[in-house]
Amino acid sequence: MDFRIRETIRYLGYGKHAVDEQTCRLIAESFEDLELVVRERFIYRIFAIEHCGEYQIRIGTIEMKSKYLIKNMMGCSKAVLFGATLGIEVDRLLQKLAVTDMAKAVIMQACAAARMEELCDRMEAEIKAELPKPEQTMRPRFSPGYGDLSIEYQKEILRVLDASKKIGLTMTRGCMLSPTKSVTAFIGIKDQKDI
Amino acid sequence: MLRECLGKELLFFDGAMGTLLQDQGLNAGEYPENWNITRPEDVIEIHRKYFEAGSNIVLSNTFGANRLKYADGIYELKEIISKGVAYVKEGARLGAARGQKAYAALDIGPTGQLLKPLGSLSFEEAYDIFKEVVIYGEAAGADLIHIETMSDTYEVKAAVLAAKENSSLPVFATMMFDEKGKLLTGGDVASAMALLEGLRVDALGINCGLGPVQMISILEEIKACTALPVIINPNAGLPKQNEKGTYYDVDPDEFAQAMKQIAGKGAAVIGGCCGTTPAHIEKMIAACRDIIPEKGIEPGRTLVSAYGAAVEIGDQPVIIGERINPTGKSRLKQALKEKKLDYILREAITQQDSGAHILDVNVGLPDIDESEMMQEVIRSVQGITSLPLQIDTADTVTLEKAMRIYNGKPMVNSVNGKQESMDTVFPLIKKYGGVVVALTLDEQGIPETAAGRMAITEKIIKEAARYGIDKKNLVIDVLAMTISSEPDSAKVTLQALRSVREELGVRTVLGVSNISFGLPSRPVINANFFTMAMQNGLSAGIINPSSEEMMKSYYGFCALMNYDSNCEEYIRIYGQQPAADQLVPKAVEKSLYAAIEKGLREEAAQITAELLKEEKPLDIIDTHLIPSLDAVGQGFEKGTVFLPQLLMSAEAAKSAFEILKGEMAKAEQSQEMKDRIILATVKGDIHDIGKNIVKVLLENYGFEVIDLGKDVEPEIILQAVETHRAELVGLSALMTTTVVSMEDTIRLLRKEAPGCKVMVGGAVLNQEYADMIDADFYGKDAMQSVHYAQDFFNGNNK
Repeated sequence: MDFRIRETIRYLGYGKHAVDEQTCRLIAESFEDLELVVRERFIYRIFAIEHCGEYQIRIGTIEMKSKYLIKNMMGCSKAVLFGATLGIEVDRLLQKLAVTDMAKAVIMQACAAARMEELCDRMEAEIKAELPKPEQTMRPRFSPGYGDLSIEYQKEILRVLDASKKIGLTMTRGCMLSPTKSVTAFIGIKDQKDI
Repeated sequence: MLRECLGKELLFFDGAMGTLLQDQGLNAGEYPENWNITRPEDVIEIHRKYFEAGSNIVLSNTFGANRLKYADGIYELKEIISKGVAYVKEGARLGAARGQKAYAALDIGPTGQLLKPLGSLSFEEAYDIFKEVVIYGEAAGADLIHIETMSDTYEVKAAVLAAKENSSLPVFATMMFDEKGKLLTGGDVASAMALLEGLRVDALGINCGLGPVQMISILEEIKACTALPVIINPNAGLPKQNEKGTYYDVDPDEFAQAMKQIAGKGAAVIGGCCGTTPAHIEKMIAACRDIIPEKGIEPGRTLVSAYGAAVEIGDQPVIIGERINPTGKSRLKQALKEKKLDYILREAITQQDSGAHILDVNVGLPDIDESEMMQEVIRSVQGITSLPLQIDTADTVTLEKAMRIYNGKPMVNSVNGKQESMDTVFPLIKKYGGVVVALTLDEQGIPETAAGRMAITEKIIKEAARYGIDKKNLVIDVLAMTISSEPDSAKVTLQALRSVREELGVRTVLGVSNISFGLPSRPVINANFFTMAMQNGLSAGIINPSSEEMMKSYYGFCALMNYDSNCEEYIRIYGQQPAADQLVPKAVEKSLYAAIEKGLREEAAQITAELLKEEKPLDIIDTHLIPSLDAVGQGFEKGTVFLPQLLMSAEAAKSAFEILKGEMAKAEQSQEMKDRIILATVKGDIHDIGKNIVKVLLENYGFEVIDLGKDVEPEIILQAVETHRAELVGLSALMTTTVVSMEDTIRLLRKEAPGCKVMVGGAVLNQEYADMIDADFYGKDAMQSVHYAQDFFNGNNK
């Protein structure tokens, strides 16, 4: 089975249960409809990491307090900061489905989430391929809202990336990304492979 | 001054500001506008260089200066803007050595937030934000207002209105398109340009996003929409990325050559955006100095738009869906009275799916606030469909408010040949833009002859011209009266259509089905008349797109007249249909119970319609619907049925309920007072899928749900509790940051509506958290909310 379909089924909460035929068909259909409105965009920059005290870490100009992020960045001297989005038309599609067919809306929501992950993975691979030294490796993505990293940092992240102008990625006053199918994250770059 | 030379001689903008500031040490994430306070000499120096390169119009360093960004109070917004404008003037004094015309433009970029309904910034807030900037900028002596890098039609509308209503300066506006010629928010070139032209900007165009080469085709598209002067401000090539971020690599010579081509193709104002430098601008001016912009030719296209693609009312007729109009529709009347917008939204989508290009919206009912309702319906419909709307009202106040908050260039229904009508409607078209339906009647009534209707058309065209409204923005309704009382009526209408189209060159529209009023088998007459009308020059038919006969006329006509190339559309729609004798009646043996259990919507509706012949609606609910829903619900709780299936069953049940409701509304059998529940996604939260799931299920179980939507202020929730005398509220929140709003809402309800219970749900919540914020109940999933509501209204946990 396709990776994206597996992911979608996982998001829908099926666990190990078999998925009924009707749902399978709707998932396949939803991916087709989704592709018609997705307009993926992404942007990234690479910054130096500075540790400033036990709980403080600075990536580029963003100073953050987070034990989890520090742990994630252990052994890294640089970090990628990226933003990615599937675009606002996905949100419109979801709104429309919420009125016409909630079952489809829920399935589309899961498909879009899987599609978003796919975009992040692809981006990550592209960035990795361009790293100057072959021995460099990348840590797993780490986003505001994970562990103790406050989503309030979303504001500075978007500002540093100039994300609103460059890729149309904004946030609400409650620090939610808008379009909703969007991600921002840090990825630590290690100079050598873990031993 | 500027207005006089605009379009007559080629004018030159400056190039990038941000790029140069970065070269001088502006940090990533630092606001460039801060340098107006911290490093004024660097800002002035950049302006000076651009004037020295020969620019006529230089933008103030105020692109992102607005109250959202300067809310922290470290710098004062007024000072940032005033100084920003003053520095351009200072730059001109130092640098306009060539004696060229020099203008200081107040630069206004986007707010950086998405507007409602998808984002959280309201149109009115956006307007106020821009208004403040405009007032400071004009006071500081700006010569024009330049609104740029806009990627949202709604936001640019707010900005242009703010500029025009609060200053007398010329207003320029440019949008950012991608390589496919689309805005980030989905609009196309024609829709954005139709909107801006309608709002009467002085010049319009495109900037950022693309390099000069990619902008050429967009320039051509713009010229095909409008005669207004066009601005082209490209980046120094397409953006490229490396680890330091975005960069651009078209050099000044290459840039200049491409810009020369652009000027040759009729741009009136040119300059540069990201990545361009004084060297780019200097070379560009050297290459283009002798070019005189060609005069804009009015393409005369009748365009309406929303936020998506524009719709052209052209040679190929378009369909205006007539279903959102309460006249003679009891379900819609009821929906409007009860503010059940979902019903209206589904009507909108059904019409769209049936092939409508534009949707008429009429909410006039004697006992509702038409203006409020119109705005609410427009906002909601625009949240789910990008089709342009036709605002249909006889009330001027409603019309103005609706035109103002409408996202796009609307169609308006209607004006007529009465002086009073023209005196009230034309000023609004002049201000907000729009295509208006003009009825051929006047103080003397409806002329009986085609010549009489022609004469009124001529009068209307002439009067519109006095307001500067081109005839392309008029669509003439020559009126169809029923042939049952006026035997010659169809002939007169057809003759008038042809004359208006051929002799006056204006587009036409008809409410087609009036023709058969009072006759049996109306679709026969309607469909034939529709074809005849299109053949006689009808540009737009106001019809019911769900009527198969009408759509057959339409698709048949388009195929015959070669509007449908290779009959593609026709084959797509009719190619798969089995012949009538092969049609097997569906759902003969299946039970309603099974249809709901399996989540089969159409079958559930069909079987319900069948059952209604023998059983009463309420019996059907009790003996078929509820038992089936219960079985599925139990499966969900046991973990054998999953969320998608639960919802498919819910939707199937809903389609059955729709049939039953229609029946009950027809019989005016008012249902018993239902238990009411208010649902809302709390302030700051724009993720509403969880709330919507709960809503569908609660409605299935017979509760009346008042859905307040997402991002809802605590006060609005309280107000709804009071108005509807609701005893139960359901709140949803996705993130820790928005649980705070949930807590605020609960606190307010405890204080002001102490009898009201609150159930909560959402991704970050758990029982502990729910207790902490003082909720009465935490629902882990939608079924739990249903059970809580059932227990509550049965008095078990009041």
